[in-house]
Amino acid sequence: MKWIVNNRMNAIYIIIAAFLFLLPFVYESRNMLILLTQIFVFAILAMSYDLLLGFTGIVSFGHAMFFGIGAYSIGIFMKRLEPTMLHFIYAVLATILITAIVSFIVGLLTLRLKSHFYAMLTMALAGLFLVLAEKWRTLTFGNDGFTFRVPELFIDRTNFYIICLVSMIAVFMILKRFTNSPLGRVLQAIRENEQRTESLGYQVLHYKIAASVVSGVLAGIAGIFYAMSLRYVNTSVFAMDITLDALLMTIIGGVGTLVGAIIGAGLIEFAHDGLTELAKEHWIFERWIIFFGIIYILVVIFFPLGIVGTLRKFTWIRKKQHPAKKKENLAG
Amino acid sequence: MELLFNLTLNGLATGMLIFLLAAGLTLIFGLMDVLNFAHGGLFAWGAYSGIWIYTTTGSFLIGIFGAILTGFLLGIITEKWIIKPVYGNHVQQILITLGLMLVLSEMLKVIWGPNQLTANPPEYLKGSWEIGDIIIIKYRVFIIFVGLLVFAGVQFLLKNTKIGLVVRAGVMNKEMVQALGINIKKVFMFVFMIGSGMAALGGVLFGPYSGVIHAGMGMEFAILAFIVVVIGGMGNFTGSVMAAILVGLSGSFMAYYVPELSLAVNMLLMAIVLIVKPQGLFGGKG
Repeated sequence: MKWIVNNRMNAIYIIIAAFLFLLPFVYESRNMLILLTQIFVFAILAMSYDLLLGFTGIVSFGHAMFFGIGAYSIGIFMKRLEPTMLHFIYAVLATILITAIVSFIVGLLTLRLKSHFYAMLTMALAGLFLVLAEKWRTLTFGNDGFTFRVPELFIDRTNFYIICLVSMIAVFMILKRFTNSPLGRVLQAIRENEQRTESLGYQVLHYKIAASVVSGVLAGIAGIFYAMSLRYVNTSVFAMDITLDALLMTIIGGVGTLVGAIIGAGLIEFAHDGLTELAKEHWIFERWIIFFGIIYILVVIFFPLGIVGTLRKFTWIRKKQHPAKKKENLAG
Repeated sequence: MELLFNLTLNGLATGMLIFLLAAGLTLIFGLMDVLNFAHGGLFAWGAYSGIWIYTTTGSFLIGIFGAILTGFLLGIITEKWIIKPVYGNHVQQILITLGLMLVLSEMLKVIWGPNQLTANPPEYLKGSWEIGDIIIIKYRVFIIFVGLLVFAGVQFLLKNTKIGLVVRAGVMNKEMVQALGINIKKVFMFVFMIGSGMAALGGVLFGPYSGVIHAGMGMEFAILAFIVVVIGGMGNFTGSVMAAILVGLSGSFMAYYVPELSLAVNMLLMAIVLIVKPQGLFGGKG
């Protein structure tokens, strides 16, 4: 209990989590439930992206690749075999294995070079996976995609909502722990100054690869949930749009904060939903991504810390003025 | 024989289009250390504006000039408003140019609608020559010709003019050039403008070549251009033309014999270059 009292931020997180847990039992709206589930799934993706972008300073343009691998593995396992929990676990294991191998290889190839190379190679590889999914028709049914059934536990929307929420919170806590671990500290040091970290005797490449593998695996898990929420998978899971979504969510929410990724996911998904409604009023809203593109550019130039980062900066300044209060709410 | 010839010609034409895109990319990277992820967007803008002008005025030549002008203008705006605030910060550069790419391709859809546009070569470039049993499509020869012309022009500019000298010196060592009292920021803008113009030219030439243009094509070509830049060596202009031809030829032959693998082969080539010789096949700075 002391831990909660000592840490105002943690208390806020717990209250919000409790609210989200209770929401489906109080407020019954199928659309709301689906939208929130979608937000949780994309929050996992955005947080995994944040580990790379915000904590290690690596830009990946092929995050959709891991997301798509997850989505297709669950789809293929559920379609080819019976939709049981056992096969679900197999699919999760397959996703973890494939995403880990792919991210390891990509990392090994490019992370010793300048950041551009990683961005380029991941972008090109994601394109390759997209082509693969289109061409390997016997396995993926090409562009049309396919529907599949999910294990019984996941059929009920409320159950699935709770499962996604729990997963999101779990991923958040794991990443929080991970980034505060000695390994995570080294990653942040790499982000701040790579040469200096290297000269302190750290094998920068190993740490970067570790970050990219963890991030890839988590993105794959987000892909699994995404496909299960739709019970349908097609080649769009490999599209650049998914990477762009993750990027926008992380940047607008605030890089290197984790919670910013969740807020960004919520904001973008809500806005997407709202703007799709508005599209009936005026056609310009159909091109909603243009607004986000402009906001995104402005954020990168003027608020590189994003919403959460900027807010934190202000509280940081305030705290500096009250040194006595400083100890109270350092964490968060 | 006829098939081989046609595949080669096709590959060369595609290679030249990729070259027009990759040349600007590699020069900008070499000089300014900026990898412009929005370059594909400039390519698509060149295609749309050029084809639009071409269909309204009926003159392909005016269309080409219009496209180049659009490229110049967009290049200046991009450099001034988007790239300049984030010089020196790699992560921000990558992020912001991708954001620009997003805006550029969405803007295309806003202005010209989300559907693809059709484009035909003008009368004098339509059809083909027949020599024996070999059929040569005129438009492809035209593209190769224009590509070579641009290559020669830029090569001349780099090797024989004052500004070319500054650019080459800047690629080698920026700080030294500045220390000698040259305003390298102005050179940056010039190079960015030329690079964007070349990308836009590539775009408008691509229109009648494929017959249709769509907003997503910028991204597709940008990926090929990145592969070329890596293979040719980042910042290496002559390397980029060799690599572009290599990628164009391998793409055209693969697309005929093993179509499933056409992108994979280029990717594999890039992966091998990245492992063995990250500074590119043709030397240059890495």
